[in-house]
Amino acid sequence: MNGEHEVVTQPILSIRNLVKTYPNGVRALKGVTFDVQKGEFLVIIGLSGSGKSTLLRCINRLHDPTSGEILFQGEDLAKAQGDGIRRIRGRIGMIFQHFNLIPRHTVLSNVLMGRLGITSTWKSLFGLWKDDDKARALDYLRLVGIADKAKIRADQLSGGQQQRVAIARALTQNPDLLLADEPVASLDPATCHTVMDYLRKVNRELGITVVANLHFLSLVREYATRVIALKGGEIVYEGSPHNIDEAWFARIYGEGSKEVHIN
Amino acid sequence: MNRSSLIRRTVFDSLTFGFLGVVFLIAIAQPTDRQMLELGRNSLIFLAAMVAGAVLSSVLNDVLKIRTLGEAIFAPAHKKAQLEETSWWKTFSGWQLAVTIVVMFVVALVKTKFSLYELLNEDGFAGAVRLFQGLLNPNFALLPRAVLNIIETIFMAFLATMLAIPIAFVLSFLCAKNIMKSPPAFALYLVLRTFLNVTRSIEALIWAIIFSVWVGIGPFAGMLALMIHSVASLAKQYSEMVETVSDGPIEGIQSTGATKLQTIWFAIVPQVVLPYISFTVYRWDINVRMATIIGLVGGGGIGTMLMTYQGQAMWPEVGCIILVIAAVVWAMDQASAYLREALK
Ligand SMILES: Nc1ncnc2c1ncn2[C@@H]1O[C@H](COP(=O)(O)OP(=O)(O)O)[C@@H](O)[C@H]1O
Ligand SMILES: [Mg+2]
Repeated sequence: MNGEHEVVTQPILSIRNLVKTYPNGVRALKGVTFDVQKGEFLVIIGLSGSGKSTLLRCINRLHDPTSGEILFQGEDLAKAQGDGIRRIRGRIGMIFQHFNLIPRHTVLSNVLMGRLGITSTWKSLFGLWKDDDKARALDYLRLVGIADKAKIRADQLSGGQQQRVAIARALTQNPDLLLADEPVASLDPATCHTVMDYLRKVNRELGITVVANLHFLSLVREYATRVIALKGGEIVYEGSPHNIDEAWFARIYGEGSKEVHIN
Repeated sequence: MNRSSLIRRTVFDSLTFGFLGVVFLIAIAQPTDRQMLELGRNSLIFLAAMVAGAVLSSVLNDVLKIRTLGEAIFAPAHKKAQLEETSWWKTFSGWQLAVTIVVMFVVALVKTKFSLYELLNEDGFAGAVRLFQGLLNPNFALLPRAVLNIIETIFMAFLATMLAIPIAFVLSFLCAKNIMKSPPAFALYLVLRTFLNVTRSIEALIWAIIFSVWVGIGPFAGMLALMIHSVASLAKQYSEMVETVSDGPIEGIQSTGATKLQTIWFAIVPQVVLPYISFTVYRWDINVRMATIIGLVGGGGIGTMLMTYQGQAMWPEVGCIILVIAAVVWAMDQASAYLREALK
């Protein structure tokens, strides 16, 4: 075997032949296979309906995959059940397009939700958080530059601020992997970059692997270390963000489509 | 025309035609009381009339192309859209509706023994005048006792509401479709839903009669009756709120590795708390009014007192009691309206 030039790294996440068919018969993923290396900032692109959200939600088992393997740190997540699923979710943070915070709770309380997975149900229902948990929550709020808002209700914040709270919530889980489903799609262009910058900071400074769905190619080129493009539930491109030329663009988004720039 | 609208049309038409046929038959044959009590045979006659009605409906619609009322009501939307406007008296369905309603009205007059004579009869009228005079000159000597009794009623309603809250709270999640998704959970959901629907369809008044046999006549029986009814009503209203919560926070909490209970507590409860409180305040308000009625059958409180004095035709005393009830019901109504407004 000629392994001289191959760097032997164990991928943190390895997806094999992942298929997801929804109960209504829609085949959202038709056998997707790829690896994610530790420390990567992998971006998934594709038209709306191409299966990006489904893919992310299968990884942390918000959806149940139909078949295939999801190897994460040596364990097949596709086979997990019950408490196993909860443990997996605890190790994987997720942020969403619409932030998905609890509007009536304070920012700090929202960030503490990241500790739910390792707090006993009864303690959490009575709000008996450990001092350590609170300190950690505040640390991450500081990291995303929003510690001064800790006591304010989450629904009083702007969209960009809410997304930063959501990032802090995910970080409080102490995750090895961060999933982001169109994290900036409902933000205005200026805030977009702030939030993306924080995600990059998390990726580079904390060494957390990021897998994000994004819409705008300009953002992809700026932030991604590698890109995967989905079309109709299948991978049609895998490689560097800088190699996506016009021909590729047309293949991914369909003939006649034009790139829109966002600054 | 699809199957379900065909079935609905046929059932509707056979009911109206069957009804008209049977009324016609009774008017002609003038059956005796005895004959009217033969439920088995009469059911068969009605069934036969309905079958004839179904056939008639089919013949009219499908052969003669005359639209019946059933067709006019239950035809699929795309068919209704093609219709032209015509005045109702030029259509068969218009006449079918008019005739059915007129005949129902006549039957109702006969059944309720409607009588202008009784209404305006001099003796009866004088009695009513005495009653109103009494009511309009309340005997305020009774006020202290009436106030004590209505306090009993208010707290009976309060206790019934308070005891119903935790039970309805737990049931509301078990009766919400968006939570009970897995097959065994869905089965439990169906069982509970049915159970609560049956419970709710039994009036609080009936529950009061049941409980007054069980635990003896008095406020305790009335409270239990109100509680059962409140559990069923609140669980339904609460669970409808749970079914409208947005999924975002649920996914957000689930993704952190939270348990089912944590997800309900942190993602769903904050979304439903205010409507819950609002429903509950309103339920207390309703319960005070219901408690008064329940008192009439021995459920205790002001209702029982009202019954006692009414039975002895002591109208000035009854007038005082009614005033107290009206004042309290009005005050509760206002207070709960303001509270609910503020909680929106
Ligand atoms: N819960 C669901 N039930 C049924 N079909 C779904 C569901 N969620 C998504 N789909 C379908 O699966 C396909 C992929 O959707 P999605 O993963 O949301 O794509 P994307 O995130 O790329 O826009 C679409 O055709 C969508 O309609
Ligand atoms: Mg999506």
